[in-house]
Amino acid sequence: MKQLLLRALLVFAGVLTVTGCVTSTVDEMVFNEPTEGIGDATVVILGRRHASDYETEPDFIQCVGKHINARDKSIEVMGELDFINALYPWFEPRTAPLRPEDIDRLMVQPPVAAKMAELKTEYMIWIDGSTVETNSAGSMTCGIGPGGAGCFGFGTWGNESNYEATIWDFTDRAEVGRVNTSTSGQSYMPAVVVPIPIIAPVQGTACDGIGDQLLEFLSSEY
Amino acid sequence: MEVPLSGLTISVPDLRQPVKLLAGLLVLGLLAGCGARQVVVEGNFPEPLMSPLPLNMGIWYNEEFANHEFFDEAKGRADSTWIVKTGAAQMQMWDTVLAGVFSNLEHMKNAPGSAEMNQIVDAVLIPKVEELQYAIPAHTNVKVYEIWMRYRFDMVTTQGEEIASWTMTSYGKTPTAFMQSDEAAVNLAAVVALRDAGANFATNFTRIPAVREWLEQRQSKLARAEATVVSEDVSEEDQAGTTIEQGAEQP
Repeated sequence: MKQLLLRALLVFAGVLTVTGCVTSTVDEMVFNEPTEGIGDATVVILGRRHASDYETEPDFIQCVGKHINARDKSIEVMGELDFINALYPWFEPRTAPLRPEDIDRLMVQPPVAAKMAELKTEYMIWIDGSTVETNSAGSMTCGIGPGGAGCFGFGTWGNESNYEATIWDFTDRAEVGRVNTSTSGQSYMPAVVVPIPIIAPVQGTACDGIGDQLLEFLSSEY
Repeated sequence: MEVPLSGLTISVPDLRQPVKLLAGLLVLGLLAGCGARQVVVEGNFPEPLMSPLPLNMGIWYNEEFANHEFFDEAKGRADSTWIVKTGAAQMQMWDTVLAGVFSNLEHMKNAPGSAEMNQIVDAVLIPKVEELQYAIPAHTNVKVYEIWMRYRFDMVTTQGEEIASWTMTSYGKTPTAFMQSDEAAVNLAAVVALRDAGANFATNFTRIPAVREWLEQRQSKLARAEATVVSEDVSEEDQAGTTIEQGAEQP
């Protein structure tokens, strides 16, 4: 009996670790060669939020920041909300600088210049894009009765991520480079009594891809 | 409950109570499903990072603004009635923003008017929410929650005379998120819209033509008054100098 339970648990754990396939493409453009490491300066990663039909997800921005910090502990990535709050109202969707030259317009104001100096921001990374569901098909029926509950059917859906990171060198007021990532994947959910989700980690792969490329700009170890 | 059966007494549990309880819960659940979805907007608003304008500005929130709420009745069975209460969050946000935009902010005791006893300030701002619109993914099929607001600002003297009146819009949106309720998403969109309103006001206040004109007039009036004080001081000093000189000439 114990062995049977163990086998069932192993099968369940195996199913949980199965993920859908993901295809990812990362492009990089370098305009200015990055300097080695950023010393004690900080990096801020911000999401672009001025498009009407989509919004760069705050959790994606957080994911990229965590990825960079996890790979190189010496890089201090400032939280998006902390940065935006500290510089309110100059980084709201309505007022955020769209070009590196616009930073000069902000620095004319003494409180903004003082705050920027205090934060020691070396690189400002703008991420624009989103993850969308491209297609879905299948059907699933679930029922509940006195003897138990269960589902039967099959569902599948596709996701696509498109993100572009633009890196601004804050000291030189210039664009250093751009990283673009396109990721797509198909998730499946067969259900025979118990639904088994086989999820394609589309957004996670995009986060890792963009994070790894950004490390080349920011870290002396990459 | 006991049922006599051929001389035997069989004890049968009384199923009426749990059934009643279940039925009650079901009815309550159904009623909750039909009820209005209410959002009392809550959020934190940062103080603006800017050099404050040297103005002693008054603010007057009328009752309608202080208790502002948006009510949208369900149009069909599939829709929900929505109540979005923004009044408290509006006051919290404007208090924070205006305290950073102006060197001093006074909450007026009464509405500006000639018959009212009020604090002495340079001008009084009276905000109003003229219109509020919202959209949720169920309405638009776009996975974004949106709030749009149109404000009217009246800037008046303490006597209630109009200095400037203008409208201003704000917009906030938030994407759908896993495990996030419609209410939480609408709240977040409202907070973004309020932040946008504050940003719009803080960055554009001095660009409003009537406000700019008033600020210029005020500036020139202050400069004239300063010049008059300086010239009076100079003439007084001159007179004092002449008297001393005259005194020195006398034997």
